This record gives sequence, C-alpha cells and structure tokens, in this order.
Amino acid sequence: MNSRPETLSEQDTPQTPAPGVGWEEFSRELVEFFASIKLAMFLFLFIAITATIGTVIQQGERAETYIQEYGEDAYRWFLRLGFTDVYHTWWFTGLLGLLCVNSLTCFYKRFPAVWRSMKQDKVSVSLAFIKGMKQQAEVVVPGTKESIAQQLAQHYVGKGYRVLAKNEAGEVTLYATKGVMGRVGAHMAHLSATVIVLGGLLGSYYGFQEFGVCLEGQTYHIPRGNFDLKVDKFWIDYHENGAVKSYNSTLTVLESGETKITKTITVNDPLVYKGIWFYQSSYGDAWDQIEVARVNIKDKQTEKVVKTIDLEWQKEQTLSDLNLKLAMTDFVADFAFNSTEKKVYSKTIEHANPAIKLTVNERSTVQATPWIFYQFPDLFEIKDSKYQFELIGYKPKKYTGLQIAKNPGINIVWIGCTMIVVGITLSSFIYHRRLWTKIIPSGASGVTVHVGGTTHKSQIDFQKEFRKLTEKIRTLEA
Amino acid sequence: MARSLFLFDMTFWLYLASLTLYVAYLFARRPAMAFAPAGHPAEDFDERDGAWATQLGQVATLVTVFGWMVNTAALLTRAFERLEHSGTFAPWSNQFEAMAYVSWAIILGYVLLELRYKIKAIGAFVVGIGFIAMGAASLLPYRYQTAEPLVPALNSYWIYIHVSVTLTSYAAFAMAGGLGVMYLFKERAEQRGSRSRFYAAFPDLETIDELGYKAIMIGFPMLAFGIILGAMWANYAWGGYWSWDPKETWSLIVWLIYGAYIHARMTRGWEGRRAAIYAVFGFLMVIFCFWGVNFLLSGLHAYA
Repeated sequence: MNSRPETLSEQDTPQTPAPGVGWEEFSRELVEFFASIKLAMFLFLFIAITATIGTVIQQGERAETYIQEYGEDAYRWFLRLGFTDVYHTWWFTGLLGLLCVNSLTCFYKRFPAVWRSMKQDKVSVSLAFIKGMKQQAEVVVPGTKESIAQQLAQHYVGKGYRVLAKNEAGEVTLYATKGVMGRVGAHMAHLSATVIVLGGLLGSYYGFQEFGVCLEGQTYHIPRGNFDLKVDKFWIDYHENGAVKSYNSTLTVLESGETKITKTITVNDPLVYKGIWFYQSSYGDAWDQIEVARVNIKDKQTEKVVKTIDLEWQKEQTLSDLNLKLAMTDFVADFAFNSTEKKVYSKTIEHANPAIKLTVNERSTVQATPWIFYQFPDLFEIKDSKYQFELIGYKPKKYTGLQIAKNPGINIVWIGCTMIVVGITLSSFIYHRRLWTKIIPSGASGVTVHVGGTTHKSQIDFQKEFRKLTEKIRTLEA
Repeated sequence: MARSLFLFDMTFWLYLASLTLYVAYLFARRPAMAFAPAGHPAEDFDERDGAWATQLGQVATLVTVFGWMVNTAALLTRAFERLEHSGTFAPWSNQFEAMAYVSWAIILGYVLLELRYKIKAIGAFVVGIGFIAMGAASLLPYRYQTAEPLVPALNSYWIYIHVSVTLTSYAAFAMAGGLGVMYLFKERAEQRGSRSRFYAAFPDLETIDELGYKAIMIGFPMLAFGIILGAMWANYAWGGYWSWDPKETWSLIVWLIYGAYIHARMTRGWEGRRAAIYAVFGFLMVIFCFWGVNFLLSGLHAYA
C-alpha cells in the first residue's frame, strides 16, 4: 500500500539503465506493472462497476424471463457477455485472479523493504538527509552530546519508539521507529485476497451444495456422506400475531441402521455430521402428498350430500351404511397428464389444480379409481355408481426444505478473512514513523540537535507529535 | 411502541435544532480572534457586542449532546420493546431503526470529533447528515417504524454484531461525505477570494482533508469486518458464505470503491479536491447500498 518513494530505499538500489530491452528490464517492467497501485485502482473500480451488472439484471433466470423483459437482441448479448451469470464468467473470474496477482506482486516487491526495516535499520544518515525531511527542526541546547542523547533516547522509548544509537567522534546519531506493524498489516491484507480466493476455489471443487425437499417420517440416503438422514418431525412455531417465528426439523443420522446423532435444526442452527452441514432452509406444501382430504358423497338422484368424510393418506375407510370402501391413493398439486406414458403428474409445485385419486369399492361390484378435482367437481363420473364424489378440501402435508452443504475450503476462507480484517485495521490505525536525530557539539557547553522525521500517512498527527517533540528538546538540560 | 416513537420524534426535532444552531454559528459575528487563523483582517468585521458566535457554538454543542442522549434513550427504549415483542433486543432490526442507529453513530462520531479537534464549523455538515438520516427515517410509513417480530432468518445473535458494525461503518462514510462537501465549499470560497464570515470558522483545507481521510480509515476496516460477519452469518443460516445477493454485492462494491480511494491516496494528487469529490461519491454509493438496494433491487436482504 505504500508507494511513496522513500528516500532511503532509493539509495539502496541504484538504478542503471540497461541498454536495449533485455529480459531483465522486461521482467522488472512486468513486476512494476503488476505491483502498481494504478492497476490495483483500476481493478477495484472495474470489479465494482461490473459487479453492479448482476444486481440490476436478475441472475440465473430462464431464457423467457430475459426475452420478455429485455427483448431477444439484448438477451443474445447477455448470453455472449455472460450477463445472466456475471459472477461466474471467465472474465469476472479473471479480474479476481488479476487482483490476486496484483496484490501478490505488490507483496513480493515491497514487503522485503518492510522486513528489512523491521530487522535492520539504517542509523547513519547524513545531516543533509535530516534537513531535507518534511518535518525537521534544529535546536541548540546546553549539555554534552552523550547526556542529551541519553535523555532523548529515554524520551523516545517512553513514547513507544524503538531506538538505535551510534556514537561517533563528532556526533551522536539516534534512530527511532514506531508502528512498522501498520505496514506489515497492509501486506497481510494483500496476501489475504489470494488466501480467500484459494479457499473459495477449494470449496467449489471439493465441496457441494444441494437442496433437499424432505417429508416427515421419511429416510433419505446421503450418498456424499454414505449415511442416511431421517426426518423425525417437522413443525412451525408462530408469534402471537400469526407471523412465523421459526420452523424446525428433528433430524436423525443413521449409519447402517444405527442411530448416530439426533438434533432439532432450525433457521440459524444447523446440524453438522462428518463435515456435511444440514440447514433448515425453507418449507412448503408437498405437491405429491397430502395429509387429509375431505370428500362429499352425493347421491346422484337426490343430489343431496349423504355424507362428508375425511380420508387419510392411503388409508382405506369402510362406510358400511353406504356399502362403500374408499381410499385416497394419490395426489397431485397441479394436475397434468402425459399421454405417451399415460401417467399423471404435477406440472408445477404450486397448488394450482389439485386433484386426488380415489379408489372406490361399492357393494363389491363397482370398482373405480377416478381422479377428482378440487376446482372441477363435475368433471368425472363413475357410471355405475350410485354416488358422486367431490373433493371439498384438504390439509396439505408440509415438506421441510433442507440445504445440504459441504465446504472443505471454508476454514481457509475464514483465515483469509481474519487476515484482511486484522491487516487493514493495523494499517488504518497504526502508522509507521521514523525519526532521525543528530546531536553535534556546538559552542562552548552546548549541542545542536538536528531532528527530522517521516511518516507515510497521518501527516497532521505526526506534525503535532513532531511539534511536541521539538518543544521537549528545547527543555532538555545538561 | 409509542414511547420509543415519541423519543425518536424528539430526536428528530433536537437534531433539527442543533443543525440550525450550527448553521447560525457559521453566519454569526465572531470575535476577531477567530479570524486570525484563517488569515482574514479583523478590522473588516464587527467585534463589538454583536459577536456571539462563541455562545451560539456552545448552545449548539449542548443541544447536539442532548439530542444524542435522547437518541440513545430512544434506541434503548426500542430495545426493551423489542425484547417484549420479538425475541431480540437489537434496536436496528428494520430500516427505520437502522437509520436511527446510523444517525446516532454519526452524531456520536461528530461529538467525539468536536471534543478532540474543537472545530465547530464541521457540525453544520456532519450533524446535517445525521439529521437527514433521522428525518428520512421518520418519513417512512408507520408500518415500517414499529417493532414487528423478526423473520426466522434474522432471529439470531449475529444480528447484534453484523448489523451494528456495518451500520457504524456507514456512519463513518457519512462523516467523510459531509467533510468532503465542506472541503468543496471552502475551496470554492478560497478560489473566489470570498471574505464572507461564513467561511472564517472553517478549518483549513488540509485539516478537513485529513479528517475526511481518517473517517474513511475507520469506516473501511469496519465495513470489511461487517461484510465478513455477514458472510459468517450467511454460512451459518443459509449454507453459503457468499451468494452474490444484491445487498452483499453492493456492500462489496462500496468497499472496493473505498479500497480504490485508499490506494489512490498513497500516490500523490489524490488529496484535496479529488479526494473530497470521491468521498462524496463514495457516500452516495453507501446511500444506494443502504437504501436503494432495499427499495429498488430484490434479494435475500429484501426484508432489511
């Protein structure tokens, strides 16, 4: 993050222009380009701009939806540019990859200097170097150079600085530094981008995310974990005003018939078994099963309801007074018929055209299995039967929607996240300060203190601190 | 419910009063002393009994602090009401409460800033934004203002920390935006060589610039933390830490925008005017992320 050319580091690496375009120069230019802040800014802004696309255009919808809203031409362009799934296009992934390359190259290029300044610092600098700093002062105080240096060093240490000193014949040089962690933090944040992306890639290659619609009492095999999951119970809790408070499923994990773990999951409280997470994600009305159907039995001749019965799912009921045996054997929420396979199925999961299949056994002579419709009571009629059956209501069976996910990369993502938060917090609140002081004897019983300092940010605070420091130096005594 | 709504209402009027006082403070005649730092000749101005800027400034600060205390009381009352009705006590569980919390954080930030730097002129801009946030909240229809029970997905301890951290970062960006506007005003006045007493109380451009930068440096890591807390919550509630839902995408966009700003500032030339314009632009993006997304785009956070 710190690109301000530092006078010191420039001294370290003298640059001699190479004749012609050699590989060395080319690779240096390449590093320069990939480590540049300009590239970082471009990527930040370009990713920000392109990320808006996916928030304006609905992602992952069906073709008709786009054509209806934007027209066919626009849709063709959407497909070409990947606008229907922006965040997984090669170019968006490429931008993220480039951001990783950018931050890694920056780390490679700039971190060694930070590391050096943590490990070994340059104490000796020229007087001109101090005088050339943005913050610098010159104070004459009485005393010997050793005693003044001693007092100053103590003052720096008291302020939390790390101090190095060099005592030479004609002068004492002090170097004080503080807050290098601010720079380390910036580089930590730079590395985190790659860590997060690696964790994300690991998750998307070796993890999975599935959605399961499960019914109470059923057992489902989880092939990815090689175990079974039984849904013992599903229920919904309500607030006083009728709003849904929570919905919950009691789940049992079975491994070759043996109960391993039982837990009631709810939204925000998943079950974890062998690295696979089961989340309470949603609920709804099943489209191929109901709990109870209410059926009116009408006498065809008198057109009067002779009886109203509640049929339970796939349980036969005997009505001896009417000489009837009835059962509800099937249900579809949105009736449709596949004529080639001769099969009834539910067109959608909405309860748009619900129908039940009745198995009627009348006086042991008339047997029929008609579909009767909630919305069209007169559609079917059993010829030889004395009765007409009407579906007048039903109690739907709730399914529990479970999100089933495994993400082996998640901990790496959290490590990256910790790095980015710690890193940018350090670099935001701690700033690197360096002070050089030269104490040169001058006059009969005094010394001249030359002090200069730099920081890479927070100039105002540093300016204040520096002003206080010069005032402090003025008060020093032999 | 009526109790907290009354307090929220009172907060609104108190912030209006404090904004008025800060603006009046800018226009008020001030003693010659106050001009000296800005480099204006004192004799142009009336420095007799008419100079009552100092007193106005003191009253403005008092009213602001009082308003903030009422705002605190309103949030606390709402927290207790929530505890009774909806199983959580986070007083930032809907758009209205979130706005009231943001204005609370903005005003707190401003009061701390005034205590530390003793610059009252900033009040007209930053308290202004806090007031607008509170005003926009009170303009919401009544059904958005009540403490309805939380939907199951929100009913989690994560709401305490994820929402508050994110909203606090918004407040920091709001302060930076206000300081940006102030910078642009002051710069224009300087360019035109304005001698209006209005600008005399403004701090110098460098200070405004640096304070704005500081606000962003507080908001930036906070927003990162808030986004990551959101990712952790999402991972816990929905089974995926990132799903590119409009709200989270927009918060990332905002973060990237400020990330670009922070990097830009490292190179020369991104201080002063450019930085001020950028801070205002960034704040507009924050507003969109906070408001626009909820009302214009659909997604997982649609209830927020």
